[in-house]
Amino acid sequence: MKRLLSSIRDGNGFDIVLVAFPLGFLFLMAGLPLLYNILMSFQEVDMFSLGTFLRPFVGFKNYQDLFSQPETWPILGNTAIFVTGSIAGQFLIGFGLALFFWVNFPGASWLRGLFLVSWVMPGLVVGAIWNWILSGDFGVLNFMLRETGIISGNIFWRSDPNYSLYAVIIANIWLGTAFNMILLSVGLASIPGDLYEAAELDGANAWQRFWTITLPMMRSTIGAIVSLGLIFTLQQFDLFAAITSGGPNNSSNVTQYWAWDLSFRQYDFAKGATISVIMIVFVMFASVVYVRSTRHEVRG
Amino acid sequence: MSDTNRNRLMLVIAIVMAAIYLFPLYWMFITALKSGSEMFATPPSFWPSEPQWATYAFVWESRGMGRYLWNSLVIAFGSVTLITVLGVGCAYVLARYRNVWVDIGLFLILMLQVLPASLMITPIFVGFSQLGMLNYPRLAVIIAIAAKSMPFFVVLVRATFMAVPQELEEAALVDGNSRVGAFFNIVLPLARNGILVSAILIFMQAFGEFVYSKSIIQAVELQPASVGLNSFMGPNTNEWNNIMAYATIYVTPILAIFVLLQRRIVSGLTSGAIK
Repeated sequence: MKRLLSSIRDGNGFDIVLVAFPLGFLFLMAGLPLLYNILMSFQEVDMFSLGTFLRPFVGFKNYQDLFSQPETWPILGNTAIFVTGSIAGQFLIGFGLALFFWVNFPGASWLRGLFLVSWVMPGLVVGAIWNWILSGDFGVLNFMLRETGIISGNIFWRSDPNYSLYAVIIANIWLGTAFNMILLSVGLASIPGDLYEAAELDGANAWQRFWTITLPMMRSTIGAIVSLGLIFTLQQFDLFAAITSGGPNNSSNVTQYWAWDLSFRQYDFAKGATISVIMIVFVMFASVVYVRSTRHEVRG
Repeated sequence: MSDTNRNRLMLVIAIVMAAIYLFPLYWMFITALKSGSEMFATPPSFWPSEPQWATYAFVWESRGMGRYLWNSLVIAFGSVTLITVLGVGCAYVLARYRNVWVDIGLFLILMLQVLPASLMITPIFVGFSQLGMLNYPRLAVIIAIAAKSMPFFVVLVRATFMAVPQELEEAALVDGNSRVGAFFNIVLPLARNGILVSAILIFMQAFGEFVYSKSIIQAVELQPASVGLNSFMGPNTNEWNNIMAYATIYVTPILAIFVLLQRRIVSGLTSGAIK
């Protein structure tokens, strides 16, 4: 007992105590729910069996039911469009801004940091603002598009099934661009300057320098940022809740919103758990890519 | 073109781009000051003709914002405290050693960081309801947020501890400090700034948290401001000036903290997310 105490005070026991509590907490509150989720996806769960662990097992019935529902494939397709659209927009605009701010001028880093307000704001507030900007009759975006002659009639962003998903994508691009830009700036700053001097001496123009130096040197950063983007877009929930609620008629519904909707609107916890399991497998895959690309960077 | 002229030109372009990017924020502030009829004018006015400052007091009173914001504060402070108490030690140990076990631990933590809240809420809700935790909804939300955000905090703070030279701690041990003493007297004070910035980032996240609060907290008087904003925005609402006033009151404290500590927050964020 005494040896144990002294080890905690002045030995490896100290480290073990420091690590054991947080890891135990994470296991209880994140690891167990994960396993419980998988368990529930093989059970029949309704309001009456919510309070017990011993629910009837149904095998893969939840999965079969899920994929025989007519809305499943369109929602999976929406998720793919949402993820690709958001990541492409965030990355391209973010990269453009990062390249611009890479040219050092007084005030550059302060102004660059200011962009990040979009990222620290609560998602619900961002959603509320964009909901108002995108509104059909009185939205300021429609007004600007009309004035510049891009559209002739108002687009009903939130209620037209052809546009509702893009309404959320626009808001999500705005939300995530700044974060992409900041991380890309860090990557750009770590490229050694003498590479460019050497290339310039060899007569490479700006375009060639970008393709042969900047992009190859940024490869691992870009890998990390794209997989981080995938992780963050699959976490995006608040914007859907604030702008379209997945509607109209599921036209802007994505899996992460649908899983919640199934559980907490339709009280079909088993289906919610089933969708969650499928998506979590996807997210885990993305995070393996992310971890691999950041490790690559540390090793150089 | 001379260097000063080039710098000025770049600065002007940068300010224009920032202005375009931050236009949604401007639109929020401006809409909150418009009257009901001005809000729906065509073409929209980009400067309120008669600023309606009374909207703020009206919204604060009629929506009971004091209670909502208080709940947001309770939840944010609760989760930051829980995360800091548990996470700092974990980050310290993960920064101090370099072996297979630390790699495995870090990998698991990164994996937990990526689980979307809206997917995890189903098992958490069912589990909590079985344990009777739903009788203490705010505590349940605090615990759920802590489990969600602690991995991110650990990754950020670990980067801070990595920057503290290990020789300092060893010197303290040679001078007769115990491990506990060296940790609290030497290492922790040196890493204080990094911990503080990470805690502020977590605070801002928890202050705006929505999924867990919306699903777990049923009683209106315990809900945070994000859920309050959500219930304010019905499907066919036309009170946009009031909603924007609500949003302004809600985000202004966060924006103020961010603008004041911008440099530190940005550098703290970038050190953890990439390396």
